Amino acid sequence: MSEVIKTDVLVIGAGPSGLATAISIARKAKAAGDEVPRVVVLDKGRSLGSHVLSGAIVDPSGFTGLLTDEEIEKIPCDAKCVKESFRFISSEKKSSKIPWVPPMMSSEGYPIVSLTKLVAYLGGIASKEGIEIYTGYAVTSLIEEDGRIVGARTGEKGLDKDGKKKSNYLPSEEIRAKVVVLAEGGAGILTEKLINEKNLKGVRPQTYAVGIKELIDVPAGTQTAGETMHTFGYPSDMGTYGGGFVYHVSETQVMVGYVYALDYRKAEKDPYRMFRQFKATAAVASHIKDGKSVAYGAKVIPEGGYYAVPKTYYPGCIIVGDGAGLLDSLRIKGVHISLQSGQAAATAILAELKDGKGLETYPELLKQTSGWKEMKRVRNVRASFSKGMPVGIMAAGLAWMTFGAFPFWRVGGCDEPDHEGLKKFDENAYKKEMASDVEASPVQPDRLTDVFMSGTNHEENQPCHIKIKNISKCAECKEKYGAPCMRFCPAEAYRYEEGNMQIDFSNCLHCKTCRIKCPMENIEWTFPQGGDGPRYTRM
Amino acid sequence: MHVVVCIKQVPDTTNVRINPKTNTLMREGVESIINPFDEYALEEGLKVKDSLGARLTVVTMGPPQATVILREALARGADDAVLVSSRAFGGADTLATSYTISMAIRKACGGKTPDLVLFGKQAIDGDTAQVGPGVSEFLDVPLVTYVQALRLTADGAYEVDSQMDDGLHVVQGKLPAVMTVVKEASTPRFASLAGWMKAAKAPITVLDEKAIEADPIRIGLKGSPTKVVTIFPPPVKGGGEKVDARENAADGVKAIVEFLEKKGLVK
Ligand SMILES: Cc1cc2nc3c(=O)[nH]c(=O)nc-3n(C[C@H](O)[C@H](O)[C@H](O)COP(=O)(O)OP(=O)(O)OC[C@H]3O[C@@H](n4cnc5c(N)ncnc54)[C@H](O)[C@@H]3O)c2cc1C
Ligand SMILES: Cc1cc2nc3c(=O)[nH]c(=O)nc-3n(C[C@H](O)[C@H](O)[C@H](O)COP(=O)(O)OP(=O)(O)OC[C@H]3O[C@@H](n4cnc5c(N)ncnc54)[C@H](O)[C@@H]3O)c2cc1C
Repeated sequence: MSEVIKTDVLVIGAGPSGLATAISIARKAKAAGDEVPRVVVLDKGRSLGSHVLSGAIVDPSGFTGLLTDEEIEKIPCDAKCVKESFRFISSEKKSSKIPWVPPMMSSEGYPIVSLTKLVAYLGGIASKEGIEIYTGYAVTSLIEEDGRIVGARTGEKGLDKDGKKKSNYLPSEEIRAKVVVLAEGGAGILTEKLINEKNLKGVRPQTYAVGIKELIDVPAGTQTAGETMHTFGYPSDMGTYGGGFVYHVSETQVMVGYVYALDYRKAEKDPYRMFRQFKATAAVASHIKDGKSVAYGAKVIPEGGYYAVPKTYYPGCIIVGDGAGLLDSLRIKGVHISLQSGQAAATAILAELKDGKGLETYPELLKQTSGWKEMKRVRNVRASFSKGMPVGIMAAGLAWMTFGAFPFWRVGGCDEPDHEGLKKFDENAYKKEMASDVEASPVQPDRLTDVFMSGTNHEENQPCHIKIKNISKCAECKEKYGAPCMRFCPAEAYRYEEGNMQIDFSNCLHCKTCRIKCPMENIEWTFPQGGDGPRYTRM
Repeated sequence: MHVVVCIKQVPDTTNVRINPKTNTLMREGVESIINPFDEYALEEGLKVKDSLGARLTVVTMGPPQATVILREALARGADDAVLVSSRAFGGADTLATSYTISMAIRKACGGKTPDLVLFGKQAIDGDTAQVGPGVSEFLDVPLVTYVQALRLTADGAYEVDSQMDDGLHVVQGKLPAVMTVVKEASTPRFASLAGWMKAAKAPITVLDEKAIEADPIRIGLKGSPTKVVTIFPPPVKGGGEKVDARENAADGVKAIVEFLEKKGLVK
């Protein structure tokens, strides 16, 4: 049995929210003239930032109060958003500019960053503040005693595919902490378990979108650094919340992403194919002309907004960032709210460490942040979109203009979890989709080439971390829905043939789409060996 | 018993790209890791420590950032770590590197020669496989290369399986020895979290050219007779020809034989 590790604060997840919590704890303690408590941050990625993925245009309000002016100045970023457009794409060839955009949608002047690099940068600052960060360790369970979370356990390493110990077996380790911070990001495994078991659910179930993204190199002299475009419409159907983005992070690099809501109803849909169709539209093609894709990734986004935020406090434990659904789903911006939630968390944690109480004030502190107010303002927008894009766009405009006063009632929609409501597989619609395939090229790699570029890697001789609960349900699913996992997985990890489910778990991007969308709720996503998974360097 | 393991920091080639204009590595976002072959050497060292209670020292020559790999080695169980670092060592070829490392090893062992010095088979960036043999010369200690199994007793008697072109050589001897280790030797262990926590705070000895009492003309660029004229990636090979013999094996065989005949490889 290995020794028990003791710390004041354990932060699970080194994304923006976890690192902001840690940095803020250290800085606030120092400012108050107190000793900095011991803070341990753990992340399952192999190195800092290797499991985060974002757009990202960052609303700088999140840095205020967290970083010094000089540190804000030095944030790794090659371009600020200089020109922004919103387009409605009606077909492969046609699109039109949306003439008026609510001024508060504007991101002009905001830095365009790679979240991977931003996280590495924040990690450096945290380390200088004395925060201990360890990567390559998945936290696989929480420890509860007498109704309080008192610690957590890391996952074992060195098991073979049958679950037997290999020569390099490393047992699970126990960490005891006075406060545990869940900063797992969207669809966090431990977070969701806690929310379900302790009944911390929000008014509505959380609803997600999958975001699929590539980094594309383009020839010098052809594009403008800092130019950005947001799109709605094609290739999404009018009934589903979906859209794309094109961010010129530098003169020679473009980030292109497509976001598709997972409450989609048509079983034959394939978000990855839609991503490629999106890139092939005239509206996007000019931005990536003669380009070459060089990096790829996918991740889910919690889009439920204000009404889907769970209770963020449980004795001994709080939830920050995307794990609590703290994201403005109209602008798809969450980094700043994550950073703000981390700062609010730090205040509550320091009070708790001092007097043994104070953690419960975190939800109130969160409500005072500008990010929370913004979420409240657009609280009905996402549900309006579930009534179709036109209704949603109208609602979005109205919400902004009236500071969220309209609509003043809670709009219905998004009331069921994403895995429900899928319609029967439509063979003809599917065939039609398949016929309109985009040809492969350097800027349009195929799915497996993309998966390769994500750098994802899992030790093959370990237990498969994606578990099918009941294989006979897969047959039923195939019959009804045509095995949608074969399409919604952006990494082609699933293949169902002749009653047999083959899972290439090594392809997995840890995006969590499968456990959210499987219509039979038949997929259990467990943690692979810590350090395995995508190796994002510029996402 | 004192075991020294030499480890080198190398770019993680699973993510490396070459700049097509300058032919140099694009280091943006490229992580540095322990040279994979050195992980096997380290594991052999740790096994000796576990079984015979040896003291294990890890040594690397490199820039200050190389402390990361030393800490990783400490986290896995090494007792102490030495960073050989100074601008004066820059641009060293294998000769200067071997000289410098041998001087550093002596220094780190209080002027004595350690019982066992382990190296990886080769570095995945330099690829020369010369530093281990070079150090063995400078230390004047017998060398066994390509070790895939090491059996050692407390009195220093060893028997190793060494992987050679003509088969496995079984070599017996008595320490001291320098050995280079191959992949087949073992599966490297993981560092525990508790191990990392200790390693993060552990002191690291830094030695420069003065500390190791090096002859200034034998280190760095000055001590390096090798001159790098140009660096280039190997030309991309063509895709080759595919013979589809799934339908008719006989035709496939015929096509291959014809191909070989044309090349004059069979008659
Ligand atoms: C395609 C896309 C585009 C986006 N665009 C923008 C944008 O332009 N602007 C913007 O502001 N926001 C954007 N967002 C949202 C933004 O990325 C998130 O709001 C933000 O990253 C949330 O931060 P976080 O720290 O809560 O979670 P994450 O960034 O998801 O980080 C969580 C970390 O925790 C780790 N982790 C999880 N579970 C465990 C565990 N059990 N043990 C150990 N480690 C664990 C993960 O490996 C990860 O490193 C976008 C998101 C996506 C997917
Ligand atoms: C003129 C010249 C300039 C050079 N300039 C540079 C330069 O600027 N940057 C650069 O990266 N390379 C440079 N090199 C390459 C450098 O000489 C070699 O990388 C180095 O000598 C080690 O050789 P190798 O990589 O082939 O290692 P091998 O001989 O293949 O390594 C065998 C084993 O030796 C050990 N080992 C090797 N190197 C070290 C080390 N540094 N510390 C501890 N153990 C070690 C490891 O156990 C390794 O497995 C230069 C070479 C020349 C000739």
